[in-house]
Amino acid sequence: MTNAASRPDDGSAPASAATGALQPGRHGAAAAPVLEARGLQVVRGGRVLAAADDLTLHAGRVHVLLGANGAGKSTLLKALDGLETARGELRFEGRAVATAAARLALRRRTAAVFQRAYLLNTTVLGNVESGLRLRGVPRAAARERAGAALGLLGITHLRERKPARLSGGEAQRVSIARALAVDPAVLFLDEPLASLDPPTRRSLTDDLLGIFAETAMAVVWVTHDRDEALAVGDAVSFIEEGRIVQSGAALDVFAHPVSTSFATFLGLDTYLEGVVTNFGDAVTRLALTGGAVLVCGEAPDGPAVACLPPEDVVLFTAPPAEHSASLRNLLPGKVKGVRPAGRLLIVTVAADGLEVAALVTRAAFDDLGLTVGGAVLAAFKASAVHPIPRHERRPA
Amino acid sequence: MRILWDGFVEAWRLLLGGDAEIYQITLRSLWVSGLALLIAVVAGVPLGGLVALRDFRGRRFTVAAINTGMAAPPVVVGLLVALFLTRNGPLGEFRLLYTTWAMVIAQLVIALPIVIGLSLAALQQLEPGLRQQIAALGAGRLQGFLLQLREIRVALLASVMAAFGAVISEVGAVMMVGGNIRGQTQVLTGAIVQETRIGRFATAIALAIVLMVLAFGANFVLTMIQQQGRRRA
Repeated sequence: MTNAASRPDDGSAPASAATGALQPGRHGAAAAPVLEARGLQVVRGGRVLAAADDLTLHAGRVHVLLGANGAGKSTLLKALDGLETARGELRFEGRAVATAAARLALRRRTAAVFQRAYLLNTTVLGNVESGLRLRGVPRAAARERAGAALGLLGITHLRERKPARLSGGEAQRVSIARALAVDPAVLFLDEPLASLDPPTRRSLTDDLLGIFAETAMAVVWVTHDRDEALAVGDAVSFIEEGRIVQSGAALDVFAHPVSTSFATFLGLDTYLEGVVTNFGDAVTRLALTGGAVLVCGEAPDGPAVACLPPEDVVLFTAPPAEHSASLRNLLPGKVKGVRPAGRLLIVTVAADGLEVAALVTRAAFDDLGLTVGGAVLAAFKASAVHPIPRHERRPA
Repeated sequence: MRILWDGFVEAWRLLLGGDAEIYQITLRSLWVSGLALLIAVVAGVPLGGLVALRDFRGRRFTVAAINTGMAAPPVVVGLLVALFLTRNGPLGEFRLLYTTWAMVIAQLVIALPIVIGLSLAALQQLEPGLRQQIAALGAGRLQGFLLQLREIRVALLASVMAAFGAVISEVGAVMMVGGNIRGQTQVLTGAIVQETRIGRFATAIALAIVLMVLAFGANFVLTMIQQQGRRRA
């Protein structure tokens, strides 16, 4: 897997790329396809609101549908969950989902969590039981499974509480517990963290990734947040104007956006993958899969992905004496490419097995006398590298 | 002033003494209004759901018609029902005019739009997201509808009580189609009209007390349930 981003040439990238079956993910295990969409289209008033030409969801994988607000991600999610009628072919566990009855059967094997926790006006326990009861699970068994789901989300103490007396984060945990209680084959999460504050978002993400690591369900996670996508996704599909523009393993997609609009959406950041280690010397290091070791911002030990914003990368032609204290990362390399970004230039540096993008002024570029193929030093602070923890998933 | 006082004393004497006619009239009122209400709820709630949750041609017109129906004056309803039930009317062959059945029909016509209109409004106020969540939980069509009714249970109860209040206290329709026949089709409101007209104020007051107790009782129950719903929320 590539561990550094290279920018697409302006406009020259193909408008669409393979959206087909995902390659085996970063853990190499071949997972079973659970839900397949071929030529799926949600059409309203003659307009295609969302489409998936060729999309396969695998057991044990998190597939992120990424895109800007209004791109059609949620509509696609609803079509995949049988909540929206759609043209084309949808197959669940190999069987066609073509009728209202089949869509209901699909919904009874899946679960969905939306941005807002839509809770029923009953107790937390009643809410978490509700999906099971609707699926005909006897009360005692439903209660037991609901209790287990509450435990999984750490909200057993809320079981008798009414929704009006829950915080936003608690309500969303209830909504997730309700979804997990039914032991779904596919879990649909539609911007599940979008309306939560950052600390709640972090703790819930950690809990969810921990839970996913222990189960074999397929997860569809809709978000407009690229960091969230990078943190949770095994696979990412980028959606624009209702269509999947690019799909693939998360890091691959982030490292090689095939359209300029996707690259713009991602920002110009360099995306890195590796393992964070704290050696007890108050320095956090990120050992990249490509071999390089970077000093990075604080993060817990374990697998992580990191963004390196190009405006934080400084270029030198000779080692910078007075900056060396704060510029902890100093990578010798070669200028691989130069392209304009507005009034500035994006300089791609190939260094130590990775590619780093740097944003420089035209004046600085001229002053340094940089040329493509010429030697250069890319330097950046430890705090410029933001590792986002990733949980390893058990092979499905 | 004295006439009022004497009336009250006599009224309580009648009520506490178990005046057979008063109890008969009360029971008839409860039976007519209760049956009309029962049918209105059984038919009105699903109809309200149909209008609230389905998209169909003429939906706006239907909603407007229901809202108009909610404000229909009872005498106009009485007139319409009488026209249908009169011997030469479309339903004349059933000979229902001046029977309690005619009164039940008239009150049903009054109660039905209230139940449909209020349950429709309550269902429409449910967030579309909740409806979608219920579907995503695996609810079939009927399960989903029942779960939505559960969500609007307080509003539904309000609609039932509002309809009960409207039918138990209306006088125009029942008198027109029932004839206010003593011992046969006379209900509380009609009896109050008649007793007042012939100057038997004590009986009129006694009947009025019963009617007030029923109307207040219904509202009291409603308020209690609404407040309980608020406290639990």
